[in-house]
Amino acid sequence: MAQQKIEIDVSDADGYQVLRPDGDLDVYTVGSLRDAIGAIVESDNPSVVVDLDSVPFMDSSGLGALMGGVRRLREAGGDLAIACTREQHLKLFTITGFGEGVSIAPTVDEAAKGFKQTNA
Amino acid sequence: MSLRLKIVGGFGLMLALLVLLGWVTLSLFTSARTVQEDVFDEAIPGLVTVDEIVRAYTAQSAAVRGSLIGSGPILLAQYRSEVDTARFWEERAQDLFTSEDERALLDDLVEAGHSFQELVDQQVIPLSDRGQRIQAIRVLGQDGTTLISEIERLGNLLRDAQREVVIQAETDVRSNTNRTIVTLATVLLGAFALAIFLTVYLPGRLVGNLQKLVEAARAIGRGDFDQKIQVSSSDEVGELATRMGEMQQGLKRLQQLALHDRELEIAASIQRNLLQRNLPEVTGARLVPLQRQANLVGGDWYDVAVEAGAMNVALGDASGKGIGAALMATVALSALRGERSRGGGPKQVIASTNQALLDATDADSFTTLIYASLELATGEVRWMNMGHHAPFLIRAGTADDPTPRGYYLEGPRNRALGWFEDPGLAEAMIRLAPGDRLVLFTDGFLEAKSTQGEVFGDHRMAEALVRLASLDPGPLGEELVADVERFAAGKLDDDLTMLVMEYRGSATLGDDAEDRSGEESWHSRR
Repeated sequence: MAQQKIEIDVSDADGYQVLRPDGDLDVYTVGSLRDAIGAIVESDNPSVVVDLDSVPFMDSSGLGALMGGVRRLREAGGDLAIACTREQHLKLFTITGFGEGVSIAPTVDEAAKGFKQTNA
Repeated sequence: MSLRLKIVGGFGLMLALLVLLGWVTLSLFTSARTVQEDVFDEAIPGLVTVDEIVRAYTAQSAAVRGSLIGSGPILLAQYRSEVDTARFWEERAQDLFTSEDERALLDDLVEAGHSFQELVDQQVIPLSDRGQRIQAIRVLGQDGTTLISEIERLGNLLRDAQREVVIQAETDVRSNTNRTIVTLATVLLGAFALAIFLTVYLPGRLVGNLQKLVEAARAIGRGDFDQKIQVSSSDEVGELATRMGEMQQGLKRLQQLALHDRELEIAASIQRNLLQRNLPEVTGARLVPLQRQANLVGGDWYDVAVEAGAMNVALGDASGKGIGAALMATVALSALRGERSRGGGPKQVIASTNQALLDATDADSFTTLIYASLELATGEVRWMNMGHHAPFLIRAGTADDPTPRGYYLEGPRNRALGWFEDPGLAEAMIRLAPGDRLVLFTDGFLEAKSTQGEVFGDHRMAEALVRLASLDPGPLGEELVADVERFAAGKLDDDLTMLVMEYRGSATLGDDAEDRSGEESWHSRR
C-alpha cells in the first residue's frame, strides 16, 4: 500500500496547536496525520484541534487515526478536539459513536473550549 | 571523468604533442636558416669584402710607390683602377655591415682609405708631377704607410667581428641542436607514455570493470542480488555500475515483494477459508453473500450460523485496509465464533468480540458490526448496530401495491468495537414478511468515489437498492456492485461486502402476520 503525503498545516493557538490537513484522509495519507499527532503527543503541551474543513473525504483509517490520537493525547495529559462542519464526517462520528466524549464543534475556538473543559 | 572525456583528452594530448613536435622541428629549421643567413649571407661575404678593400688600398699604395720609382703612367693607371675597386667594395660593404660596431669600423676604414687617396692625389702625385719625386716618396713612405697600416688594422678588426658572428652562429647552432634533442626526447617519451596509457592501461581498466559488471549480471541471472559490484570509476562504466547496483537493490526489493505477495496470497486463502463459502441452507430464509475485494486481503467479514430456529448473521468491517485490517477481522471472527460455540447469546458474543479486539488491537483500530438474528418461524429480526451504517430493508410488494419499497433501518445505535470498554448493547426488533429482504453492507459501497471525488453515498445506495429490488438477491448484488464500479470508473479502493437476507416465510406463518405499522419507505422519507 503506497503511502502518500498529505499537506498538514500546523499552527499555534492559545495554549494548544491546530492541525489543518488539506486533502483526503484515507489509508494512503493517514500516516501523515498520525505522525503530526505523534509530534504533538511528544510536545510540552499535548493538546490539539484538528480542523477537518479542508478534508473532503475521510475513511475508517482517518477516523481511526483521530481516535487513536484522542487516546494518546489524553494519556499524555492533553486532548484532541475536532473542528468540522462537513455533514459526511459528522455522520461518521455519530454512527461509530466516536462523537461521544470528544469535543466536536463547527470552529476551532469552539472545539478548543470543549477540550479545555474536559481537561479541567 | 567520463570515458568520452578520457578518450578525447588522450587524443587531444597526442595532438598537442604532435603540434609540439612540429614546432620544435620548425624552430630547428628556422634556427638553421638564421645561421645560414648570418654565416653565408653576411659573415663570409663580409670577410671577402674586407679582404678586397684592404687589398685594394695596399695595391694602390704599391702602384703609387712603383709609379714614383719607375714607369709612372701604367702604375698610376693601375692606382686609379684600384681606387675604383676600393669604391666598389666599400659600397658593397654598406649592405653587409649593419651592426653599429661594424658600421663604425667600416666608416673608419673608408675614412682612412679616402685619407690615403687624398694624400696620394693632393700631395704625392702633385709633388711627383713637379719633379719632386724624393719628396713624394718620403710623404708616401711616412703618412701613406701610416694610413695603410691603419687600414690593415681596421680591416683586421672587421674580420674579427665577422669571425665573432661565425663563432656565435656556431654556438647558437650547438645550443639549438641540444635544446631540440632534449625537446624531441621529451616529446617522444611523453608520446610513448600516452600511447601506453591509451592502448594498454585505459582499455585494460575498462575491460576489467566491464568484466566485473558481466559477473554481477551473471549473479543477478542466478538470483543472487547480494554480490557487490566494486567498480571505482568516475566514467560511464562507473555510472553503469552504480545504476546496476540500484537495479540489483530494486530486483531484491521486487523479490521481497513477490515473497510478500505470496504471503498475502496465503493470508487471503486463510481469510477465504474463514469466511463461509457453504452457507447453511434453511427453510424459510436464504442468505446471499456478495464480496468484491479491492485487495487480496481486507477487513470485511461475515458469519452465518443457524441454531435453535434462528439464523444469526454478523457483518463486520475492520478499520483500515490490507493485512492489519485482515488480522483484526480474524480476531473478531474468532472471538465471535468462540463465544457462540460456548453457547453465548448475541449480547455475550458482541461483548466478547469487543474485549478481544480491545486486547488485540491498537488505539487507531476499530471494527463496526451488525449482528442480526432472524427467527425463522416468525420472521422477527433482532439486531444490534455496533457503529455500523444502518442496514437497508426492502419490503416486498403487496397484492394492492406490487412495487417493492425500501428504507434504511434506523434503530438504537451502539458504538464501534475495539475502542470503548462499554460500547453499548441496545437491540432493535422488526418483523419481516415473506419476500422482505434485509440488506447488510459495508462502507465500501457508500465511500466509493467518482473521478470527481464525489462519494456514492447512502442516497444513491438506497435508490439503486430500490431500483434493483425486483431482482433475485444474487443478481441484485451483482447489479449493485456494477453500479458502484461504474460510478467509481472501475477504481475501487475499499472492499464491497453485502449480505442479502431474504425471508421466505414459515409454513406455520401466514402472510397476514406481517406488521408494517410505523414504517416509511425510502422514497416517502426523501
